[in-house]
Amino acid sequence: MDLASQLPMLLGLAWLAPLVSFVAILFFGPRMGHHGKNAAWVATAAIVTSLGLSLAAFGIWLTAHPVTAVSHDSHGAAVDGHAADSHDANEHESHGNEANADHGDHADHSGQHAAVVPAAYSGDWYTLYQGGSLRLSIGWYIDALTVMMFVVVTFIATCIHVYASGYMHDELHDVTDHEVHLSDGGHLHRPGRFPRFFQALSLFCFSMLGILIAGNLAMVFIFWELVGICSWFLIGFYFERKSASTAANKAFIVNRVGDFGMLIGLMALWGALGTLHFADSPAAGAGGQTAPGLFSLVRPAESGHALQVPDGMVKFANASGVSQIALDNASRPGDGANEIASRIRDWRSEGYGRWLLFIAGVGIFCGCVGKSAQFPLFVWLPDAMEGPTPVSALVHSATMVAAGVYLVGRFYPVLTPDVLLVIAVIGGITLFIAATIALVANDIKRVLAYSTVSQLGYMMLALGVGGWSAGLFHLVTHAFFKSLLFLCSGSVIHACHTNDMRKMGGLARVMPWTAGTMLVGCLAIIGAGIPFVIGLSGYYSKDAILAQALSYSQANPSWSILFYAVAGGAFLTAFYMFRLWFMTFAGAPRDHHIADHAHESPNVMVVPLVALSVLAIVAGWTLPGGFGLANLLEQARPAGTAATMSDSFLFGNLTVPAEHLSHEGAIHVTATLTAFTTAAAGVLLAAMMYLWRIISPEMVASVFRPIYSFLANRWYFDELYNAIFVRPVFAVASLASGTDRGVIDRLIDGIAWSARQLAGFDAWIDRNLVDGLVNATATATWNAGLELKKLQTGRLRQYVMFIVIGTVALFVLASMLFRAALAG
Amino acid sequence: MSPTDTLTQPALWPLTAIVFLPALVAAFLSLPIVPKAREEFIRWTTLLTTAVVFVLSLWMAVPALFGPTGPAQFRLGDPSMQAVVKLPWIESFGIEYLLGVDGISLPLVVLTTFLSMLAAAASWPISKHVKAYSVLFLLLVTGMLGVFVSLDFFLFYVFWEVMLLPMYFLIGIWGGPRREYAAIKFFLYTLLGSVLMLLAILMLYFTSDLRLLSDEQLVASHVVSPSLDGAARTTALEAVRSAGRPLHTFNILALAQIGQLPNSPFAAAQVWGMSLETWAFLLLLIGFVIKVPVVPVHTWLPDAHVEAPTPISMILAGVLLKLGGYGILRICYPICPGAGLSLAWLVCGLGVVSMVYGAFAALAQKDFKRMVAYSSVSHMGYVMLGLGVWSAVAGQEYRWDAWAQGVNGAMFQMLAHGISSAGMFFMVGVLYDRVHHRNLEEFGGIFGKMPVYSGLAIAVFFAGLGLPGLCGFIGEVLVTLSSWNYSRVLAAISAFTVILTAAYILWAIQRVYLGAEYKGPHGDHLTPITPRELAIATPLVFFAILFGVAPQILFNYVTPTVNRQVETLADWTRRVHDAPAAPAVAAVQQDMAGQTAR
Repeated sequence: MDLASQLPMLLGLAWLAPLVSFVAILFFGPRMGHHGKNAAWVATAAIVTSLGLSLAAFGIWLTAHPVTAVSHDSHGAAVDGHAADSHDANEHESHGNEANADHGDHADHSGQHAAVVPAAYSGDWYTLYQGGSLRLSIGWYIDALTVMMFVVVTFIATCIHVYASGYMHDELHDVTDHEVHLSDGGHLHRPGRFPRFFQALSLFCFSMLGILIAGNLAMVFIFWELVGICSWFLIGFYFERKSASTAANKAFIVNRVGDFGMLIGLMALWGALGTLHFADSPAAGAGGQTAPGLFSLVRPAESGHALQVPDGMVKFANASGVSQIALDNASRPGDGANEIASRIRDWRSEGYGRWLLFIAGVGIFCGCVGKSAQFPLFVWLPDAMEGPTPVSALVHSATMVAAGVYLVGRFYPVLTPDVLLVIAVIGGITLFIAATIALVANDIKRVLAYSTVSQLGYMMLALGVGGWSAGLFHLVTHAFFKSLLFLCSGSVIHACHTNDMRKMGGLARVMPWTAGTMLVGCLAIIGAGIPFVIGLSGYYSKDAILAQALSYSQANPSWSILFYAVAGGAFLTAFYMFRLWFMTFAGAPRDHHIADHAHESPNVMVVPLVALSVLAIVAGWTLPGGFGLANLLEQARPAGTAATMSDSFLFGNLTVPAEHLSHEGAIHVTATLTAFTTAAAGVLLAAMMYLWRIISPEMVASVFRPIYSFLANRWYFDELYNAIFVRPVFAVASLASGTDRGVIDRLIDGIAWSARQLAGFDAWIDRNLVDGLVNATATATWNAGLELKKLQTGRLRQYVMFIVIGTVALFVLASMLFRAALAG
Repeated sequence: MSPTDTLTQPALWPLTAIVFLPALVAAFLSLPIVPKAREEFIRWTTLLTTAVVFVLSLWMAVPALFGPTGPAQFRLGDPSMQAVVKLPWIESFGIEYLLGVDGISLPLVVLTTFLSMLAAAASWPISKHVKAYSVLFLLLVTGMLGVFVSLDFFLFYVFWEVMLLPMYFLIGIWGGPRREYAAIKFFLYTLLGSVLMLLAILMLYFTSDLRLLSDEQLVASHVVSPSLDGAARTTALEAVRSAGRPLHTFNILALAQIGQLPNSPFAAAQVWGMSLETWAFLLLLIGFVIKVPVVPVHTWLPDAHVEAPTPISMILAGVLLKLGGYGILRICYPICPGAGLSLAWLVCGLGVVSMVYGAFAALAQKDFKRMVAYSSVSHMGYVMLGLGVWSAVAGQEYRWDAWAQGVNGAMFQMLAHGISSAGMFFMVGVLYDRVHHRNLEEFGGIFGKMPVYSGLAIAVFFAGLGLPGLCGFIGEVLVTLSSWNYSRVLAAISAFTVILTAAYILWAIQRVYLGAEYKGPHGDHLTPITPRELAIATPLVFFAILFGVAPQILFNYVTPTVNRQVETLADWTRRVHDAPAAPAVAAVQQDMAGQTAR
């Protein structure tokens, strides 16, 4: 078996293992041991299997495509080696040859980059719909990014399954939910739901892995919705609580708002291009030819993988031009098609289809805005913390919410500089707003939730400014340290039975492991390290983002605000993360009742913390041989995206600088120093306020009262949305319902009433007219005779007039009848 | 299409048996020898009859299940009419007993027999006049099946009316408190539709002329039975050719052939400033969209559903609404293509308005069943949109596949909605049987009390929500994606509806199933689901999942026929509509040749 068939098999099985566990627990969950205790083992076994298979795939991948050092000046050549390796993947044979042909041409650096095609394997498992040339299917697209994400997701999921089997043990027996007040004043007693939790978790893992392996956007959308519904189940796990079920609904509906945009993006692609596949599908096109996928349609190999509006979009946008030619050639379709094809180049240069490509990109990004909780749809994520903490760690920080970033990364070759700017700006706004709210939140999980939103904003911004590898690198490192932070917070909540940091303090003494690992997480997220020497994982990824943002700012001075957003965000992150750590673990206990009862969590919970903190430290490192995440990611870099890209369409001249430029010289130094300074300043300020108490937080809050309450109320986003979206929707809903009853039914009832009146009138006629028909006829005849007598005037002119009127009337009547008869 | 296959030999029995067995049993049950008091016997007879009909339809549709095939079994991948039954009926008007199934009607027939069986099982709680109920129920089944398999327009109309009356009584006698109002409303709306339809049928009949068709077309449309060969065929064809006056026809297939002719008499005849084909299209459309129903002729639906007993609601939502979509697909578009093309905006517009309006109205409902009824209005809007998106026009280089995708999506949506809406109404019925109210504000905490039922119900509602992996998703996504090529505005609005759908379904689930405690009356009656209810709910959930995961099972039937029809009409657009006069083209060429010569 070669790589092209091994990888989909291994990852396909890794993908399906959690589904098996889901089905098993669905049907047999409650019978798995006492109160379904063994369901945890079934689910964990499934995800461990997935992890094993993913690691196997990873190993195979590394054997075939060894990760080597990518030094900045020989960048192109190093990756070229991989492109040549992909010869064994028959899917990419043509591309491989293309890359080969360019091997000799080392002179032109950018041309070199443009020619690089990442090693990738793609294919279809089965077809959902096929009609004509249109095909929707379930398939795979596997490159270094897929393999890496599989390992990351399954690893974190494994940690969290193990952790949850300890954390959720309350559900093993009957539960009294103290947050639910019944009408009789008591609390709710209910049976535990231990297996149901793992059932949903397994389904989630299956759906999440489905997004990662998806070979086309339709499949992404399918699993996109499925992770959404899993998230609905998990947020609403305590569904007896009104707040939990409301938060679950809010999450799903807000996500659907994003999906609305995503659907538009899908339509723009599907309608004009007729495919949603990422890669080319051999022998799927007309007459067994290769059907080109999105990537090669938008970045054709013939033009060196430079971004261009694909033919289909040009034609679609100029439908009137196409229509004219097609109409002229309606009886000779072949000639028409040829003429249209010959005109496409001209139409493209006239700018047809650019809007469509922009809409497609922004549309797909809308879906990512919903899923990755970006401004303006981030409001659901903090509420999602109603779910159990392991869910917050897995679904709402490390994996599902990162799916949006992953999709932007996957879809990156199709994004124009204008779309990228939109992404960067949305990311920048998000990271700033969320960070400011995190400054004042007191619920430990909400601080982390806003921190997640903010970090996702970082990733989006990074992708938007051209930092493809920086954004995805941060996605991976963040997954490790944020799930670590959430699990630590879960450990704290487990010990204290409260989320309120104001009641904590001094917990480091009683929970040393939790405190220590959480400190690692905090240091990782702020990007701590010794500049230019070594650091935690966040140090590398955050530096890369800063450097790319700086590079972008220098290339586009009018958008340099993006760099300041990143730098300011780094300061805020450092401040609120250490505020959290100091408030929770440092100083003296503020609530002795809680502090006395607190205890370190059991080993089943501590071990995952340690495992994750090790990765939070080392995930960013590059080994001497060149092995490291950053270099691994470079293997998956989409064709043509390594080069600088410029365009001027909607937002003026935009230059997206090549990413490798940010690793060089002054930019790198400035970025590293900025990152270090801002982070240090943040930590220092947090220490002054919450550790050494030099500045009183209360005093700061009262001095900046309006700002404080503005932030504490989360910028009033919920109230705003309630006023401008939710209430109008309900108003329209009752209007529609009212129209039915008040207008349409009134009308119908009115018609029915009239019919009844008519029937009554008819009956009246029967009684009074038909019964008296004889009399009436007689009277009428008598009267008619009298009347007719008056007509007999003897005047010829009047007679003629009567004849004319009669004839015309007869003619009109006859012609109407005749036409109707002709017709009918 | 080709008559070479001798397997098209008319086989009278499978389709006739499927259609008339219920009516026969109904006739038997109505005899005085069946005592009224033996309710269990009557119920079982009804259930068994529907089960036999279901198995028969399955025997036709899935030969693989039953071993080697008989000639009347369905051949997958063959887009043409199969198992055709052709007998003269009222010869002086050329009315025939003409039945047949193809990829469009067969799945709907199976859906009907399947849902009839489940509805018969769901009829157990009905204890009032069981005998009369069963008789009417079985008559209704005959009417519905007859509409789907009729290929003669007159026969179609007869079945259409046959279906109407039992429905009126089933709602009017076995319904809820406002049953009479609802029944009359249903009756008047539908009657209006059928009167207009009759008008259109007569218009088409008196304008049609079989002599316009070629020999191949006459055979393909079963005017001359393909089973005749040699001399018999020649004689039959000669009879048509030698007729001295126009040969009118009710044959739906022949009418479609005539309507698509370049010199279609339907397009040529003018009535009050519009072509006859436009009139016929509009009249038929009104008749069909009342059934679908679309806004603004939808208000019979919520009332009928709220008042109808649970099994009748299942039939109403699961099958009756599909008749409208089926009629548009089978009759309006093929027979009146010109009007279909110029009025596509109307069909699509009605669809999108229904989609959005129905979703908004569903959001505002306080009655559980009414909410589900409005969700039907919204979901059937997708069917209209999918059927209407005539995007195979010049600007799209006459590419037919986007439109075919819409029509296939609409067909799938009809079948999926048949399963999910019947399921939703059944789930509401299960609760209503226990607590006798449907007020959404007075539920809550059902999940805690009836976990198995709630799990199944949530699955069914998710199918209605259009969740991937369940049947509702495929149809909606295909229709939505296809509509972009017809109109970007309509496409955007239809995509917008997904938000509203999620909102009203999830909100209803939250209010009914989630929460800590039940807030309404009769809380102690909330007993776990019974085996009978489980036997009805489980197949619905099973098929909702099966068709969601493997939609190809249905598409294997649907796509060949739909694609051929759409391809034909796309070709018609280019050949007949956009390049009507070949001589004109020749003249231009001559002109150009003359210019060059000069």
